Amino acid sequence: MLNIKNLHASIQDEKQKTKQILRGVNLTVKPGEVHAIMGPNGSGKSTFANVLAGREEYKTEGEATLDGQDLFSLEPEQRATLGLFLAFQYPVEIPGVNNMYFLKAAVNSLRKQRNLPLIDAMDFLTLIKTKMKEVGMDEKFLSRAVNEGFSGGEKKRNEVLQMLMLEPRLAILDETDSGLDVDALQAVAKGVNSLRNKERSFIVVTHYQRLLNYIVPDVVHVMVHGRIIKSGGKELALDIEEKGYAWLEKEAEA
Amino acid sequence: MSDVVASHLGLEHFFEKNSHFTDKKWLCDFRAQQFKQFLQRGFPSRKEEAFKYTEIKNTALPAQSGLARPWQHSEKTAGIKKITPVILTFINGHFSAVLSETASLSREITLCPLSQAHEERVKSYLTREVDATRFPFAKLNAALMTDGLFLEIPKHVKVTTPIYLLFINTQQNHYMTCPRNIIVAHESSQVTVIEEHVGETAQHYFTNVVTEIHARANAHVDYYKLQDEDFTAIHVANVRVEQQQDSCVKTYFLSHGAQLAREDLTIFQRAQGTESYLHGLYSLSQDQQHIDHHIHVDHFAAHGTSAMLYKGILAKKSRAVFNGKVYVHPTAQQINAHQANHNLLLSADAEINTKPELEIYADDVKCTHGATVGQLDNEALFYLRSRGLSAREAHNILTLAFAEEIYSKIDDNSIRHYMRKRMGSHDQF
Repeated sequence: MLNIKNLHASIQDEKQKTKQILRGVNLTVKPGEVHAIMGPNGSGKSTFANVLAGREEYKTEGEATLDGQDLFSLEPEQRATLGLFLAFQYPVEIPGVNNMYFLKAAVNSLRKQRNLPLIDAMDFLTLIKTKMKEVGMDEKFLSRAVNEGFSGGEKKRNEVLQMLMLEPRLAILDETDSGLDVDALQAVAKGVNSLRNKERSFIVVTHYQRLLNYIVPDVVHVMVHGRIIKSGGKELALDIEEKGYAWLEKEAEA
Repeated sequence: MSDVVASHLGLEHFFEKNSHFTDKKWLCDFRAQQFKQFLQRGFPSRKEEAFKYTEIKNTALPAQSGLARPWQHSEKTAGIKKITPVILTFINGHFSAVLSETASLSREITLCPLSQAHEERVKSYLTREVDATRFPFAKLNAALMTDGLFLEIPKHVKVTTPIYLLFINTQQNHYMTCPRNIIVAHESSQVTVIEEHVGETAQHYFTNVVTEIHARANAHVDYYKLQDEDFTAIHVANVRVEQQQDSCVKTYFLSHGAQLAREDLTIFQRAQGTESYLHGLYSLSQDQQHIDHHIHVDHFAAHGTSAMLYKGILAKKSRAVFNGKVYVHPTAQQINAHQANHNLLLSADAEINTKPELEIYADDVKCTHGATVGQLDNEALFYLRSRGLSAREAHNILTLAFAEEIYSKIDDNSIRHYMRKRMGSHDQF
């Protein structure tokens, strides 16, 4: 499904200096798999997620294909049409844009590009109310502006709600668990688990092992200094929880 | 110089030809005197602060008057019916009885074309002196005006249906109209007036309109002005609001037409406890399109409130000027005055000159002002696109969202929907 070979990414800082962030990432995700990417702050996890979704300010080298299609030749909306979804670490507030209007426009835009019939207002309302219940969101958030004045937890629930509505092939969750209380964390995990099937894959970027108690990964990767330095089963996350990242960094240098 | 003379000669010729009101000597005399004063003052030069960014040359004035033409509602204006059954229509400056409908209005309300109004009722308004230095085009209007609205709401009357005033420009090129509107809301009365200027199959015409609103004690007036002139037209408007004690006036200036537009709004808070809420939305979509808003609020008395919120969306090589001034006289304590002007530039070639001003001579007042200029938020664009919306859709949604703040201030649902549509915005809600 997703194939990444020798991915490099850099960004220009304010002083026009090039800052290298990803230094050769290799990753293969097969249909139905859940991969967790862990790593210390500044290791490049979020950059990795954003580069795949199509954020423009990064310069990239290397290969990334989704179902054989070269991601880097596609616009962000074309990647979304292919079935790629990014749950943002810090979802942006968009004053003046009604949340329900936005969700309906997004759902129908994807349906249009996939040559599916558009969803009508009544069916949409029924569907979204069901999904909101699943993620534990009050219906009042439908009439609010997108993320405006939402708490951190409400923003993350809104990301998961969008994921449930858009039903992506590959969902990338960028630290969706950060800052969540246990109830919100369980709601997020429930949303992800309800979507898990043989066709759909997930990349869960996280700082904390805690999330992986609820979303059990098939593979755990550790990213340090822009590279994946170790991969293993779910028990790797427990090792990290216990021992931190220092031993892995030493191991990688050795 | 010869150019100026030639053009003034043209204007004089125009004045001679348009000798209306020959049966009313007082008006003919007044118009002649006003015309002389305008010629003495001359066209404003760019050396004058109030016209620094906006030049309306004497050569821009077509020396031909508007001609009555047949016209019928197109899809554009068909939505008016959903707002109100009460409409007064003028075509190229001429009142059209066929396209006007006032029957449903209560008989105690005076609503008629100015040309048909009772002389004694309108005399004091029509002969009001205009400051030629500050408002040269209002001076010119006083000399050349032909017709417009006369509306008078008696004490304690609440007019439940909005009153629509439609100025159509059609099937003629290179002409000038000088409409004049008078709205008088007596004590504790209430009214909503919508004034629309629209161009359909007319080019290079010049609209020079003056509207005066008198809100007497405790009166409530909502005033909308929709400017949708042809992209080759020049539109100059002077709206003057006189407010008495405890009156409340809300104004909404929505503009996206004309090649060159100048919108002057002047508020006089004459007595205490008055409230003025002034909104504006301008959206320019053409190269060389230009709009200039000059808003002046005079607080003469205590316990007044004024709030100004103007937003602009500028595409291509368009240019906007905003000058909002709040003047607090020493007699005006305990004033609340706010002004804000926010602009969205959609292209690198668009330009905005914005200048919010406060002049305060009282010591117990609360005043704020601010102006911003920005582009669409890249983070928001990426967010929308990552959800499958095309770059164009995302762009449109964010532009509409910027304008939505102004629409959200329109209380009446049908007016709000109509304005959104006419300004080219889709209904989100």
